Amino acid sequence: MQDKTEGKGMVQVLTKEKPDLDGLLTAPDRKLSVAGHSITRTDDLAKVTGKLMYGADYPQEGFLHGKILRSPHPHALIKAIHVEKAQELPGVVAVLTGKDVPGRNGFGAILPDQPVICADKVRYVGDGVALVAAETEEIAHEALSLIRVEYEVLPAVFDPRDAMKPNAPKVHEGGNLLQKNKLRKGDVEKGFAEADVILKRTYQVPFLEHAYMEPDITFAVPQRDGTMLVEGPMQAPFTVRRNIAAVLGVPVNQVRARQIHMGGGFGGKEDSPIDIGCRAAVLAHHTGRPVRIALEREEITIQTCKRHPMIMQLKIGARKDGKLLAFEGVIYDEQGAYAGLGPLIPPAGGSHIHSMIMMPGPYEIPHAKVDAYLCYTNHPYGGAMRGFGAPQVHIAHEQLIDELAGELGLDPFDVRHINAFRLGSATATGQVLDQSVGLLDTLEACAESFDWKERFGRNDYLDAESSKRRGVGIGMGWYRTSIGTNGDGCGANVYVHEDGSVLLYSGITEMGQGAFTVLPQICAEELGVSMEDVRLVKPDTDQVPESGPTVGSRSTTLMGNAIIMAARQVKASILEMASEMLLVPVERIETKNRLVYDREDPTKSLAFKEVAARCMAMGKRLIGQGWWTPPASSLDPETGQGNPYFVYTYSTHMAEVLVDVETGEVDITDYVAAFDVGKAINPKAVEGQIEGGVAMGLGYALMEEVAMVDGVPQNINLQNYLIPTTLDVPHIKPIILEVENKLGPYGAKGIGEMPNIPATPAILNAIANACGGRVRSLPADPEHVFMAIREAGGPPER
Amino acid sequence: MNALTLTFTLNGNNISMDISPDTLLVDLLRDRLGLTGTKVGCREGECGACTVLLDGIPVNSCILPAAKVQGRSLTTIEGLADEKRQLHEIQQAFMDEGAAQCGFCTPGMIMNAKALLDRNAEPNDQEIRRSLSGVLCRCTGYQKIVQAVATAGEMKKSQG
Repeated sequence: MQDKTEGKGMVQVLTKEKPDLDGLLTAPDRKLSVAGHSITRTDDLAKVTGKLMYGADYPQEGFLHGKILRSPHPHALIKAIHVEKAQELPGVVAVLTGKDVPGRNGFGAILPDQPVICADKVRYVGDGVALVAAETEEIAHEALSLIRVEYEVLPAVFDPRDAMKPNAPKVHEGGNLLQKNKLRKGDVEKGFAEADVILKRTYQVPFLEHAYMEPDITFAVPQRDGTMLVEGPMQAPFTVRRNIAAVLGVPVNQVRARQIHMGGGFGGKEDSPIDIGCRAAVLAHHTGRPVRIALEREEITIQTCKRHPMIMQLKIGARKDGKLLAFEGVIYDEQGAYAGLGPLIPPAGGSHIHSMIMMPGPYEIPHAKVDAYLCYTNHPYGGAMRGFGAPQVHIAHEQLIDELAGELGLDPFDVRHINAFRLGSATATGQVLDQSVGLLDTLEACAESFDWKERFGRNDYLDAESSKRRGVGIGMGWYRTSIGTNGDGCGANVYVHEDGSVLLYSGITEMGQGAFTVLPQICAEELGVSMEDVRLVKPDTDQVPESGPTVGSRSTTLMGNAIIMAARQVKASILEMASEMLLVPVERIETKNRLVYDREDPTKSLAFKEVAARCMAMGKRLIGQGWWTPPASSLDPETGQGNPYFVYTYSTHMAEVLVDVETGEVDITDYVAAFDVGKAINPKAVEGQIEGGVAMGLGYALMEEVAMVDGVPQNINLQNYLIPTTLDVPHIKPIILEVENKLGPYGAKGIGEMPNIPATPAILNAIANACGGRVRSLPADPEHVFMAIREAGGPPER
Repeated sequence: MNALTLTFTLNGNNISMDISPDTLLVDLLRDRLGLTGTKVGCREGECGACTVLLDGIPVNSCILPAAKVQGRSLTTIEGLADEKRQLHEIQQAFMDEGAAQCGFCTPGMIMNAKALLDRNAEPNDQEIRRSLSGVLCRCTGYQKIVQAVATAGEMKKSQG
């Protein structure tokens, strides 16, 4: 094991699992000069000086202001809409209703079941019933107040279990059960019959808001050539384009989606730019003028997607020694009013199937069964939020493992160590993990750093007077790289110019995760130029190849591979030309740090730009196009068996908390989080993902919930939707382990979503360990912790 | 409403302009003066992205009437440095430590940090966290931001 300290964390390369060296994309023996280094982000200077332009910073002159009139009812029929008074208001340019949508009156990332403008029925309080475009935002606001809608209020349904009852109000004509998925491995009855202990538990999680700091905004600009340009912060420009084209009733090539720098997305800006983009485009189409829609914070909470709430019932059977034998789970997954990112994209795409696949956890269990129900209700719709259905089920299985350990009188570390995935393990879908499995390494590294064995079981009150009791907890997890659809692929173009400068074309968006730094790093590394030589062309569907969405922790790996493939096409020209110029066999030519040289005699060298100029002069190809798709995903729809995702990231977190047993307040006092990321292309950016992810998982554990009353979100601004501040987040020690992914660029796999997933259960387990009370329905705010302590029979004795 | 003539110092320059009395400071800065480095995340003084310094004290410009700056001195992120001039230590430290992710809260964080370091060049971890607690960040978990402020304090000290 080689230590390679970067930043404040620790990077360790685990070499015990040496891959074969013939892998297309990895080059383990090669010393990297750009990739693998903590290079300062390319957009940092603009950020720290306030010069970086976000959507709201763009000039507004010439734009009409679009506004959406939303339904006040969670479920109602629209009997009539009176828009005349609004239309007559000076400064109002258009007031549109359902009949005015030129093409398909529906949008959605997977199923287009959400009306652009509701014509006959509303299904949640965020539903849009009319659109206004006006010369100023104030006039647009006033126009909304002049529209009168006659509703016939319908009974509504707010719980997925109620939604499945025969007489439940129908949210959609096809019924409320949007999807049912099954996983069947082995024979759970046999497994439970062999078990020494069987435990059943139910866990519940609420709606969560992404709370990205930058409010949503979009610009739709009709072009002179008849096409429509839509700009804004967006994670999925190609999905936005596809939806807007259908809504306008034009071919896909008539719409251009261009990303503006994003102030955070976390999955939320996969859906919301479709929502407001389609509406702005319809207004722009009707008025022939540029239209801007900027959502206010409160509108975001009411209208846009949320993390899916779930009710999860689990049953586990184990031997006395902690070996897991059988797992059974039921998920009631609430989709809300529209399909969003919930339903299946075959074979294993969509958040619901992902929840099902992940539910038994990163453990070898011979017998497993899951039934997963995805239901429409009259709440806001569920979408992607950093983990895409995985954080919820981790909260369930990780607490269950701890409850089981408690039942068996075992250390939860040991129960995890016995059962955790290792090389060659079979998952609950029967997938054999044949490479890059560093889960046990993360468990061991985390325990060593945290000193788990010393600290577990030593929890006590802070001192003789204190009501604060100490506890420790573990959370373990896994997360896919890629999205499990048949169409998951990334394209990249690399152009080298006669002066050695490079243009990199990629449709992967920047939302703060660092893609605009990491992707040029990979490009520069592969070409052998320096970071400054590469300029990334920002995502623009008219310019960059199809790249899919920036989701699923897929960007570094899938796009990285596509970039390497594109760069190699250009590099082939460079190597051949240098071979002729230096009179050295092409196999001996190497490029690095702007030099092209003879590996065996580095004194024979040329400047990269000199070779590029000669290539240009001689008509040699200097443009490359890469296209990379992961190995095919598979999942049997009847049994849930198959290989849904080609590689996984693994992680273990350990937390120490102090619980005030008199008030239920929780302080997190120590935190270590270890990850197997394959290869950290930019270790400092990886640390940033880890620290930010832990904070987000902490919010889920302790404070976050979009509270709903009769379908109406109650805490719609940041005054009462609380997210962690500097005073809530502890010092976090990140540990980065590198167990090479043979199918990743320089061995990398995804990291974006993983960090927030085990954080929530690690904290919940620490709370239970400290105070004896377990909060099974989130959040574990002081009231819930206090109640849990009471239910457990009061505070632990001193 | 009658226009109000507002006279104040903005990033070292004297400004005099007519405003409507109901103008909020953040709108004056962003819409009238084109200083869009100050961000709007919530319009209710919760997220802190709009923080500017009024006579050296951090204020949420999204809830402050512009009229309140009459005769006073205002500093925004644009007043710390521009790309031609030397970066402020805090800006440099934010880059070195990787303290900015999406960057939306960064101006607010930096302005708060400046107010802190101007009165206490060697803050400890808790002092930094308390000073920055009014600015929300959803990306970083705050760790690299806190570190950057500590580093900036050290840089400032070593430069005398």
